[in-house]
Amino acid sequence: MKDEKQHIVSFKEHLGTYLGLLLLTALTVVVSVINADLKMITIFTALIIATTKAILVAYYFMHLKFDHKIYRIMVWIVMGLFTSFTLLTVLDYITR
Amino acid sequence: MAHLVLPNSGHNRDPEASKMGMWLFLFTEILLFGGLFIVYFVYRNLNTEAFLNASFELDVTMGTINTIVLLTSSMTIAMSITALQKGNLKLSVNLQWATIFFALVFLVIKYFEWGSKFEHGLFPGMDHYSHLPAGERLFFFLYFFMTGLHALHIIIGGIFIGVVIKKTKQRKVTGERISLLENSGLYWHLVDLIWIYLFPLFYLIN
Repeated sequence: MKDEKQHIVSFKEHLGTYLGLLLLTALTVVVSVINADLKMITIFTALIIATTKAILVAYYFMHLKFDHKIYRIMVWIVMGLFTSFTLLTVLDYITR
Repeated sequence: MAHLVLPNSGHNRDPEASKMGMWLFLFTEILLFGGLFIVYFVYRNLNTEAFLNASFELDVTMGTINTIVLLTSSMTIAMSITALQKGNLKLSVNLQWATIFFALVFLVIKYFEWGSKFEHGLFPGMDHYSHLPAGERLFFFLYFFMTGLHALHIIIGGIFIGVVIKKTKQRKVTGERISLLENSGLYWHLVDLIWIYLFPLFYLIN
């Protein structure tokens, strides 16, 4: 591990990530305006788009994709735990 | 046997450990905001209509501009790491300054946004706020608390990057010793990540 050369993310990759993020931002705004009647669909699409953006930021800007895989494992475990606790709580309230 | 040599008395560095420590800290931040998001989901579920009505008070244009500003700042801090790794100190420092600049732009827009809410008396404790239905009061309470806590993180992140600029100029942070810049970048991206969720959940309920 120590001998591995640090991966340098190029300016181009960062710019590409940025453009992708802008596109997704535009998409989430447009979807929220168009889907005005479908409340549940809007919140789910909004969360799915937000999560896609979050993964882009984490993998490229935060170098997760290029770092040692222990960071990826840690992040996915923490996010998985958080998501399951959120789901459990929300499902509890929805089904009351 | 006269000399006692301490095994770690030198200036040891461990980039992996320092990055690991930063990630562990970021997890505590995720849990801090995560708890608030759970509160948000539960109350939104209990007060669907009120949350919808209250969110119309928020300015989608300003929210969208701020999202773009934060994404841009995230890119500049990420690029400043690339620049320093490639040995371009000046470009790296400039990109760090750019990040602080965008942080200030974000705060100024936030100031005007909050200002107009204050004018309408929507801050918890104000006159108009006290007469709103319970669900809308919850919405505005969460809005001010969560965006306020987020703005505090922007200020802390900006100061952190300011310190890194100084150290980069003193060449204490270089391409080979980049941990501090990387960690300030990680912190900044986390602030961006939180906003990625705050924006659709507060501004885009339609």
